[in-house]
Amino acid sequence: MDRGFVFRRKLLLFAVLFLFWIVLTATLAANDIVLGAISSALVAGITMLLFGQALDDRFTPRVLLKLPWFILRLIWEIIKANIDVAKIILNPKLPVDPRIVQYRTYLPDDLPRTFFADSITLTPGTVTVDIEDNLLSVHCLCPYHEEGLAGLESLVAWLFGVKPDD
Amino acid sequence: MVRNIITVIFCSIGAFWFLLGTTGLLRMPDIFSRLHPSTKCDTLGACSVMVGVAVYSGSLWDILKLILIMCFLLLSSATCGHAIGRSAVRRDIAPWRKSEEEEQ
Repeated sequence: MDRGFVFRRKLLLFAVLFLFWIVLTATLAANDIVLGAISSALVAGITMLLFGQALDDRFTPRVLLKLPWFILRLIWEIIKANIDVAKIILNPKLPVDPRIVQYRTYLPDDLPRTFFADSITLTPGTVTVDIEDNLLSVHCLCPYHEEGLAGLESLVAWLFGVKPDD
Repeated sequence: MVRNIITVIFCSIGAFWFLLGTTGLLRMPDIFSRLHPSTKCDTLGACSVMVGVAVYSGSLWDILKLILIMCFLLLSSATCGHAIGRSAVRRDIAPWRKSEEEEQ
C-alpha cells in the first residue's frame, strides 16, 4: 500500500467521524469543533494502525455521495413494499404462497452483498434468510415478489459502480 | 398549529403501521412469513413516527439526529430479520407451503 492511498483512507474515515461528531454534539462552537477534530484524527490514525484498513475498501467518497439518493430510492421501495404487504395482511383470505428461492448475484465482496441482502429484507415480500458466497436464499411471500430482486440488484450495483460482467 | 396537525398525522400513520405489523405477525402461518410484517411494517412505522417528531421539533440538529436514527433502524431491523431467518434455515425448519394445507 502506498502512502497516498493510506492517507486518503484516513482522511475519509476522519471526515465521516467528524461529521458524526458534529451531528451528535449539535453545536458549531469553536472548542467543540477542535475537540472533535482531534479525537476523529486520533481514531482514524489508530484504526489504520490496528486494522490496516479504514472503512471497507469498497466504501469510497463517491459511494458516500450517492448514499443519500440510494436511501431515498430505498425508502420509496419500502413504502411500496409495505402497502403491498399490508394488503395481504388485511385480506381475510390471507393470499400467501411462500417459498424459498435461490438467487445468484453478480455483486462482488462483502459490503455490496450486505447492502443487497439488507435491501431485499426491507422490500416487497422478500427476506434474505441465508447467503453463501454469491448464492442468496430469499424467502418470498408470494411468487411474484421474486421479480423485484433484479431491479434492487442493479440499484446496489449503481451505488458501488459495479458492472454486471465483473 | 399546522405543525401539530402534521405531527399527529404522521404519528397516527406510524401507529397504524405498527398495528398492521402486529396483525400480520399473528396471522402468518410460519416463522419465515412472520418475518415479513415484523421487519417491514415496524420499520416504516418507526420511520413515520420519527418524521412526525422531526416536523414537531423543527430544529436542524434534531432532524439530523433523527435521520441518523432512521438509517440505523433500516440497517438493524433488516439484520435482525436476517439473523432470525438464518437460524431457522440452519435448524432445517421447513417453510410452510400452501399445498400442504389443502392436502390435509
